[in-house]
Amino acid sequence: MIKKILMIVLVSCSLFAYDATVEIVKKMDKLPKIALQDASESSVDLSFRKKFFKILVGDLRVSSHFNVVDEYLQSSYKGNLEENFLNELNLDLILRYRILFEYDGIVIAEVKVINAKTGQVDSERTYKISKHNRYPLLAHNIAVELNAKIGAPSIKWMDQYVIFAKYIGSKKSEIIISDYTLSFQQTVVKGGLNIFPKWANKAQNAFYYTSYNGNKPTLYKVDVRSGKRKRILSSPGMLVCSDVSADGDKLLLTMAPNDQADIYVYDINRKNLEKITSYSGIDVNGNFIDNDKRVVFVSDRLGYPNIFAQQIGSRSVEQMVYHGKNNNSVSAIDNYIVYSSREKSSEFGPKTFNLYLISTKTDYIRQLTATGKNLYPRFADDSETIMFIKYYNNQSALGLIRLNANKSYHFPLKVGKIQSIDW
Amino acid sequence: MKKILLISLTIAMFIFSGCSQKNPEVDATSNSSGVSTADKKADDISGMDTDKMASNGMSKNATAVEKAIAKLESNVNKIYFDFDKYDIRPDMKSKIEANAVLLTTMDAKNFSIKVEGNCDEWGTDEYNYALGLKRAKSVKESLAAYGVDKERIMVVSFGESNPTCKESNKACWNQNRRAEFKLLP
Repeated sequence: MIKKILMIVLVSCSLFAYDATVEIVKKMDKLPKIALQDASESSVDLSFRKKFFKILVGDLRVSSHFNVVDEYLQSSYKGNLEENFLNELNLDLILRYRILFEYDGIVIAEVKVINAKTGQVDSERTYKISKHNRYPLLAHNIAVELNAKIGAPSIKWMDQYVIFAKYIGSKKSEIIISDYTLSFQQTVVKGGLNIFPKWANKAQNAFYYTSYNGNKPTLYKVDVRSGKRKRILSSPGMLVCSDVSADGDKLLLTMAPNDQADIYVYDINRKNLEKITSYSGIDVNGNFIDNDKRVVFVSDRLGYPNIFAQQIGSRSVEQMVYHGKNNNSVSAIDNYIVYSSREKSSEFGPKTFNLYLISTKTDYIRQLTATGKNLYPRFADDSETIMFIKYYNNQSALGLIRLNANKSYHFPLKVGKIQSIDW
Repeated sequence: MKKILLISLTIAMFIFSGCSQKNPEVDATSNSSGVSTADKKADDISGMDTDKMASNGMSKNATAVEKAIAKLESNVNKIYFDFDKYDIRPDMKSKIEANAVLLTTMDAKNFSIKVEGNCDEWGTDEYNYALGLKRAKSVKESLAAYGVDKERIMVVSFGESNPTCKESNKACWNQNRRAEFKLLP
């Protein structure tokens, strides 16, 4: 009997990673139940402590790997019989933390993970971050490590910085580096129209962006630490760095040296430009796929925007999506393609733009969003998480979809309108 | 039934607790390697203000030229487009023809012409920049057909970054789907 049950559990677990286009939702009762205890000294500002709690509890919820108790609880750091069990909550785990401030704005979090079934401290660890305003990243770091500790699928993307451009007026924008919740934000480029930021590498120590402040749109590369920028190239008409190859050596650009927007590959080291698409209409939003040998992109070559793919070095184009009549943005990873599709031909209908997921190996289509305008999807490295721009009730937000848990979240931007994102 | 449920939960707990023990964490009482530094990447993010970096190229006697340009620009017709389209509407052809006449006058013919393509707020901005460019290119080709030297005309797209109307309604979106003209010395 036990063998049969074990087989059922194992088969269920393996199904979760089978095909992301098929909705399989993990049931909450299978997740470890966890409560957070704030054991900071009373000298630490209470509003700060509550903000920290809110981010950490949000991280665990967004991970979709915990059954999280939302209640803000306080305890001593040492703990006692009652605090180490919290019997009335019937917990599996307790995450107890104590925040300390050091000189020069350093924030420290001492963290204990307690097995609430035994009341024993399972592990203890200290986290620190050098600047006070970056405390959200400290919380994300704690969540990422706790998630790894229970052996759940990685949520390392929480540690990644997001870079985005936001419009703040006509022909005016700013480029900002933030965490995924927008709780931490730092403006890195301001003044004029600077758009389409794109991380230059996985280390996130440099980024590309297009400046519209000169005679021609110009692509720059900026070193994050020094702030030094280097001109890469210019193009009349428009210029967007849509994707960077895995090794960081090649860029997919949409540019228009002859007034005609096409997709090009630019080799950073050789300074060589290769034209990939050649069509008299619109080709845009190129993404590397198949080990950077192929490009998926948006084109209006059928009379409306849709998703196509082309081998680099070949002229034959393959239609990738057979659904929708206005699919104007795409992101791809492994065998999966996520795209934004306009629902109706009328611009005044109740439905606007929704995200859809397809697999290149199956015929399934999965609708990922249902309300608001959902645009500019971007996969995380793990293909289980998608970030996108959401416009809802006249507000612009970063949206986040956890595919395996079938959950989505959005984090509103207080001022401005998000233009583009990368992470 | 209760027994089966209990056994299932026990197995689930075994899986979670079993996994968690594979990667034991460093005890905080150990040395500093147990401290996780959350900001090892980009711990010094620098900013720049491109307005301050831009050079001011305006010459001392630019005012007269600027006035001439402003006068001409105020008389050039904006060209409007249908939703998600970049072909010239029939009702816009006469406007382009009038622009071509103005832009080939003695007062204007020494200036270069920049056609700026713009979009409404619908759609992804990357696509909108390409759409705006196609609109500007359509206008450039139409102006050339009416006798304006192509070499004088450059095109640029501003996607949805440059709305003239910021409300969210049909009338506004109609105004924002347009091509505008700038004259350059």
